[in-house]
Amino acid sequence: MSLDEFSFNAENGSNRERMRRKNYDYDTQVFKSKNLEVERRRREKLSTRILLLRSLVPIITMQQPLELHLMNKATIVEDAITYIETQQNIVQSLSYELHEMEATSEEIKPKKEEIDAAEEMNKLGIVQATKIDGNKLWVKMIIEKKRGRFKKLMEAMDNIGIELIDTNVTTLKKAYLVTTFMQVTLGKIGIFVMDIVWGN
Amino acid sequence: MSTGDRPKMHDQTGCFDPNTTGESVPSLKDNFPQTLPPSSPMVVVGNTTTNSINNSLEENLRLSVEELSCNHHNPQHQQDHVSTYASGVTATSIEIPLPQHLGLNMGNSYINNNNNMDNHLVQEVIDAFPYQQSTWDPTIVQELQDMAYANHTEQTQQQQQNEQQFQQFETQNCSQSYNNPSSILDPPYPSPDLLNLLHMPRCSASSLLTNPSICLTNPTQNTPNFQNPMAFLGDLPIGSENTSASSVLYDPLFHLNLPPQPPALRELFQSLPRGYSLPTNSRNGSLFGGGDEMEGDGSQLDMGVLEFNRVTLTPSVGKGRRGKATKHFATEKQRREQLNGKYKILRNLIPSPTKTDRASVVGDAIDYIRELIRTVNELKLLVEKKRYAKDRCKRPKTEEDAAESCNIKPFGDPDGGIRTSWLQRKSKDSEVDVRIIDDDVTIKLFQRKKINCLLFVSKVLDELQLELHHVAGGHVGEYCSFLFNSKIMEGSSVYASAIANRVIDVLDSQYAAAVPHTNSY
Repeated sequence: MSLDEFSFNAENGSNRERMRRKNYDYDTQVFKSKNLEVERRRREKLSTRILLLRSLVPIITMQQPLELHLMNKATIVEDAITYIETQQNIVQSLSYELHEMEATSEEIKPKKEEIDAAEEMNKLGIVQATKIDGNKLWVKMIIEKKRGRFKKLMEAMDNIGIELIDTNVTTLKKAYLVTTFMQVTLGKIGIFVMDIVWGN
Repeated sequence: MSTGDRPKMHDQTGCFDPNTTGESVPSLKDNFPQTLPPSSPMVVVGNTTTNSINNSLEENLRLSVEELSCNHHNPQHQQDHVSTYASGVTATSIEIPLPQHLGLNMGNSYINNNNNMDNHLVQEVIDAFPYQQSTWDPTIVQELQDMAYANHTEQTQQQQQNEQQFQQFETQNCSQSYNNPSSILDPPYPSPDLLNLLHMPRCSASSLLTNPSICLTNPTQNTPNFQNPMAFLGDLPIGSENTSASSVLYDPLFHLNLPPQPPALRELFQSLPRGYSLPTNSRNGSLFGGGDEMEGDGSQLDMGVLEFNRVTLTPSVGKGRRGKATKHFATEKQRREQLNGKYKILRNLIPSPTKTDRASVVGDAIDYIRELIRTVNELKLLVEKKRYAKDRCKRPKTEEDAAESCNIKPFGDPDGGIRTSWLQRKSKDSEVDVRIIDDDVTIKLFQRKKINCLLFVSKVLDELQLELHHVAGGHVGEYCSFLFNSKIMEGSSVYASAIANRVIDVLDSQYAAAVPHTNSY
């Protein structure tokens, strides 16, 4: 109630309004401040979240007047900061431990392979192409399922200059079914590739 | 003292019986001859001025005690229900009134005051007439003593005191609170027989120090009893002789000095500081007031004490108020600054804050804390799985070993439990949602500008050792959206936050690289 009076006095300082404020105490329907509901909701929102934050954080710093500091906003925020920093440190230490264990168990050897576009396209199993428009092509491919093969396909497409508009990839036991709606961005090479694909 | 109190109590109980059984008039007649013999030998001996003054005061005590003895018993029976009675000794008289005074202060009920007034008035009516007969003789004796030993300086002081007493007498009539102190003063005094018996050994045995205390206590308790019949009758007693008339005028003024000081708290300059002090101090104040008649130094001491009380009280109140105001202001400002600082620190800790207002900061903190808790649980689970797998297979893993470890996998599940976590990351133009259930990873990708998301994401998946199973997505207007379903390869230690962070970093870097490309295009 004191907060409402304070905000009310901040808005209207004249005696005329003060008389009206007295009426407000007896009959609530006579007067309501414009910001009353908005401020009430804002304060309720903040206090609700503060309570939720307090429930999440297990750290509670207690000082002499327990009732005062347990629900103090500054203490709640400080405890949340402390807890977040603690958890971040735990995440870092655990991820470091995982990487150490992984390093001892395996050694990943990066392999660099040059990509030959024409050769890559020849390796494809089955290719069906349907020409729709001047630059657009509907392609259906079945590829052998191996690690990194789809990535190589994507790299080949990118090098050629084909943009995939809509793509669906479905995996069967040991094969990829790739259905793609392509669009050629570059002139010469694109036509050449389309001829090859169309020919196949 | 403890041994001395017991025989006094015995004497009191012995004296109580004849008072209750006998009539008031016979008791007065019996007491009357006892008062004269002790005074005459004192006069014959011819002691110093102080002793003569003490004797006159003692005579007044005896006269007033006759009324006090009647008033004494009745109020105690009705109010206090106390069997013990106060003795005439100064030590006991000083001790006993204090608790009664405090008790009356505690119970300031209106009914008690009415009872006191009624009882007091009735007893005054009964005792008024015989009291007048007894008063004439001791006043004459007192007059003779005063004429014999009075000095000029004392006379001048007494005249000033008489004027003050007269003014106080008028104020006393107007005030209604007069009866309260009289009721307080009445109970402590016993019958005159006790005083006669006790004063003789007390005066002979006690030292000079004890006598002044007796002198101080006596006048305060004499005056209200003497004044009551005068006020009640409305007229002064009839005096045939001029000397007797002057003596009668002298006595009420003489006694007026003392009693109005306690009741008139804020009327006089002396009584004002008593309001500040404790009730015990007011008791001492009345004693000092009694001392005014005896010595001039007493009044000076009294004034000094009262002024000191004023000086001590005022600055402490001022200091308290000023200190509190300053401290409160500084504390409040510091508190607000600290709170704002803490909100800023909290916002900096959150990886992807939304807004700057406090409610949003707290909401984001809540979400991030929940995410951290899930991440910690996920990593702990992975560490346990890794240790179990490492202990099981000590050989370095290759593709063939991976196939073998697939067979071992069913044994690992019950120990680790099913892994579940989800994560969400946002940047300026990208949004990534990663969900992991056991070995299956679902990555939902949403980006604003057109770059070949499929290529870059597939690269990331290969780096993170995720096996691609299903892809769906495309371009919608300015945005492109993709859904990836992949599977974690055996031996991989990837976790949700790592996937999300990696994907977002790649997309953002490629987007930054793509911008010059679009410019050139």
